[in-house]
Amino acid sequence: MPYIEVLGQQIEVDEDGYIQDPSIWTPEIAKAMAPMEQINELTDEHWKVINYLRDYYMKFGICPMIRKLCKDTGYTLKKIYELFPTGPAKGACKLAGAPKPTGCV
Amino acid sequence: MKFFIGQVMPYITVTIFLLGLLWRVWRWTGALRIHNIALSPFARNWVDTIGIILAQILFFWNPWKFDRPLWVGAWPMHAALVGVLGGHAVGIYFMGTQFTYIGLSVAASKQASVLLGQLVGIVFLVALLYLLYRRIAIEKVRAVSAPSDYLHLILLLAIVVVGDLMRFLPSAELEYEEARHYLAGLFTFHPVPIPDNWYFIIHFLLVQILMIIFPFSKLVHPLGMLWERWIVNRPYQDTPLGLPGVRLTLGGPAGETTASKGV
Amino acid sequence: MAAEKKLKAPKKATEAELRAIHIKPVPDEEKPQVALELLRRYKDEWRSLVMAMETCVKCGLCAENCHSYLGTRDPYNIPAKRADLMRKVWKRYFTPQGRLFGWLVGAEDITLETLEMWYSYFYQCSECRRCGHVCPFGIDTCEVTMAGRRILHQLGMVPKLHATTGAAMLKSGNHMALTPAGIQDTLEFLSDEIEEENGFRIEFPVDKPDSDILYVPSSADFMLNPETLKGAARFFHYIGANWTITTRMTEAGNFGYLFDQALVQKELVNRLFQEAVRLNVKKIVWGECGHGWRAIKMYYNTMADLPHRIPITHILDEAAEYVKRGLLKLDKSKNPEPTTLHDPCNYVRACGLAENLRVLIKAACADFREMEPNREKNFCCGGGSGILFDDPDMYELRIKFSLKKAEQIRATGAKVLCAPCSICKAQFHPMIEEHHLGVELYGLIDLVGRALVWD
Repeated sequence: MPYIEVLGQQIEVDEDGYIQDPSIWTPEIAKAMAPMEQINELTDEHWKVINYLRDYYMKFGICPMIRKLCKDTGYTLKKIYELFPTGPAKGACKLAGAPKPTGCV
Repeated sequence: MKFFIGQVMPYITVTIFLLGLLWRVWRWTGALRIHNIALSPFARNWVDTIGIILAQILFFWNPWKFDRPLWVGAWPMHAALVGVLGGHAVGIYFMGTQFTYIGLSVAASKQASVLLGQLVGIVFLVALLYLLYRRIAIEKVRAVSAPSDYLHLILLLAIVVVGDLMRFLPSAELEYEEARHYLAGLFTFHPVPIPDNWYFIIHFLLVQILMIIFPFSKLVHPLGMLWERWIVNRPYQDTPLGLPGVRLTLGGPAGETTASKGV
Repeated sequence: MAAEKKLKAPKKATEAELRAIHIKPVPDEEKPQVALELLRRYKDEWRSLVMAMETCVKCGLCAENCHSYLGTRDPYNIPAKRADLMRKVWKRYFTPQGRLFGWLVGAEDITLETLEMWYSYFYQCSECRRCGHVCPFGIDTCEVTMAGRRILHQLGMVPKLHATTGAAMLKSGNHMALTPAGIQDTLEFLSDEIEEENGFRIEFPVDKPDSDILYVPSSADFMLNPETLKGAARFFHYIGANWTITTRMTEAGNFGYLFDQALVQKELVNRLFQEAVRLNVKKIVWGECGHGWRAIKMYYNTMADLPHRIPITHILDEAAEYVKRGLLKLDKSKNPEPTTLHDPCNYVRACGLAENLRVLIKAACADFREMEPNREKNFCCGGGSGILFDDPDMYELRIKFSLKKAEQIRATGAKVLCAPCSICKAQFHPMIEEHHLGVELYGLIDLVGRALVWD
């Protein structure tokens, strides 16, 4: 099982880089993952999205649909892709510590 | 050797052929788990199903629609096969006089019999050659072929070539009477020596080889098609439509709904 | 030793992921033997598989009628040759001619390489059954693919996508591991959207007891295709239905059908009937999913633990009946763009929905254009049976598999593509980009819902 190093600790991820145990997520893990998703630096705008997603996931156990993400953060889909080039699911949700989506997606 | 081929082997051949077919079909029928795997075209009743199957058997409907170049070889080849088998049975039994029933003279009937045999024999030969060519030259057909697929065609070609030679070369011809006498001996379990005609002996031997391998090869596909299409093209009933407890119903005053019109 | 050709195959599930679907992988050296034992059992029981193995004459008709061969030109994607991967083993061990003559009749021993080939090519088949439709004998190569996948599953060779989706199904009763709270929140959001668009609110009943109708949407509707959920809600509201969704089984699809055809497939069937009884419904109405509709329509009798008498129909069949009787008031101008219809394979080749799809789309859209070929002759989107893999090799293949489809769409000049199946939608979302098709994607009940005229 692959892993990433965060503050001297080894965090288990799957082959696509999603963390295996969502409950252990910390902001440092998101920072460590960012380069893999083609993000140089996490700005406040990134954190707005990441924190929103993290809160939603902790509350509802799933990531919100993209439209709701856009509406609640006020960012257009285009903006989300600018912030997270690999996309809302692969980029943003992954950084927020959610697991990889399964099924017809 | 002529004794074996002419008077012993035919009984072995027919036994293997019949028991082999029974055994093959028994293995299919013994597999009892059949899921509902309806596949288009959909039959609403058994008449539909029979229609679907007949369209395939009589017209080779699917090759006509989906692979015309295949149809061009396959349909004439099978039609000629039917003609050859029918022609053998009818021609030998009636010794060429079958067309007197439609008003021809005996001589004319025999001429017609010969002519039809020659025609069908040529069509059969050309079609087989075309199918063999396809299997050699066309990539997608070559890709799915095993050596036996070529060998089947070559065996059929050998049978047809010898048969055609018998039809076209006077020195190779076998009179109807001789053939009938010999075959009658086999059918009545009082076998007589095989006619002293090497074309006939080779033709007869090759046909027996075909019959022996038949039950253990893809040549059983006419039966396979029936077993297969019974599964996928048999009629299934649909669940009736009409939603319960709605304000806007489908039906009239009695709250009737139509059953769905089949699949 | 010949150089090993690199096989394209989806990422395999890890041991942990297999454990989550209760599979203990078989050690490599035992795999061929175990595979053979399973195949032997199928030979004795499974008639459609027997007929597929025994009736093929290698005419080659299926080749250029299969989207995967047309897109890749890989000979193993010819349905007859794909089936031959199993047939050659079948002949070797189960037929006298195979035992006696081996390679001469196309028979071969089973090895680990054989099984790797099975894994690669049975997951390049989308189980669309176009080959079965065109075959002169009606040989259903899909049965071969399904048998292959079932054997591979028991050996522990399952794609990561299918295994993880299966685990989600066992845990939550849907493919996406949607939670009851998540479902509720999403539906409230969609009610908000309907209110903004229609000017009045439609609530989605959730886990409502004593409903008459249980609606089963695809879980992907909650993420990727919300318009389909909205369309269904609008339809049910229009006819004044007493309906509900259940959070325990919120899945019109059935990934279990696509790989194990056992425990995982049964999970959803059992949940379905438990919920139908708990909520005391009179009818179950299915949402937009192709393989899922086939799986429940055709297999629930053989898959359910107990016989059930609650009828199950499809929302599109029901809605079409309303349209045929002129009971739905639809305004075509609400869907003005040139629209074409993708006939999902399982709808048209397995479930006979082709004409009802047209009844609906012609009533709901101003400018409907047929693709060629269409109905049961239609080509697969390329993603069928869950081969929606995103690892680079397989993603490239997906682009090739959808090549024929892209040609069909482009030829219509349409601006809107209607594809009433979740897997098709999941395939089309990226493939529309990859093939630069420039079309918008909708389900069918979506378009019907938008066209409804409210008094």
